[in-house]
Amino acid sequence: MTKTCIDSTRFGRIEVDEEAVITFPQGLFGFESCRRFVVLCLDEKSPFRWLQSLEEPNVAFVVIEPSQFMPDYAPTISDADAHALGLDADTPYLTFVIVTVPPGKPEEMTANLMGPIIINASTRIARQVIVEDDCYTTKHSIVQEITKRAREGTNAGSHTQGESEHRD
Amino acid sequence: MLVLTRKVNQSIVIDDEIEVVVLEVRGEQVRLGVRAPKSIAVHRKEVYEQIRQENLNAATVSTEDLLRLQKQLADESAGR
Repeated sequence: MTKTCIDSTRFGRIEVDEEAVITFPQGLFGFESCRRFVVLCLDEKSPFRWLQSLEEPNVAFVVIEPSQFMPDYAPTISDADAHALGLDADTPYLTFVIVTVPPGKPEEMTANLMGPIIINASTRIARQVIVEDDCYTTKHSIVQEITKRAREGTNAGSHTQGESEHRD
Repeated sequence: MLVLTRKVNQSIVIDDEIEVVVLEVRGEQVRLGVRAPKSIAVHRKEVYEQIRQENLNAATVSTEDLLRLQKQLADESAGR
């Protein structure tokens, strides 16, 4: 099987199967030349993953599945984005959001809910989409939500939804 | 840049399939309507800028910052 290699800045040499490669035909906003990425899981117990570029050794983003902190996250995917991703109503897809951690201030970590990454799970074609739903911002604070869910998970083991502010 | 003068209800057509109509002019604000195929994405430029800037911020996160964060989250979850 064909392998792709990159000597990444953060993680050293990474070797991935071609079938694990995620392709962003347009790149990401601000990183238009980065088209090929891989999702790295460095710690099974952590909800965070790294989205590592296979073309630029120093380009890597911390990402998380929004279900880990906001189970009712439901961005509207535009027809244009669905078309570009080749998504039909029944195509399986994955959603990740990019996390920003201000240097030295982990408690101020935020997630970008306005520009989620959608991956077509069948083709592994991905796109950073723009969500214009008013309730989602580029700097959504997530530390409390993650902690709260972790506590619920360890203490009760049940899926209490809590008082989530659901919008219609 | 191509510059065209239009009045209310007049429009321009781009590439035979995208139409931009001037709907209303009120003081310094102009309301535009865009008629385009579903495969064309249309957003205000600020939105692109905002997401681009946030990507640039996110790209500087170090592995040390994330490890520190994970430790902090683990501690908080354990109620420490």
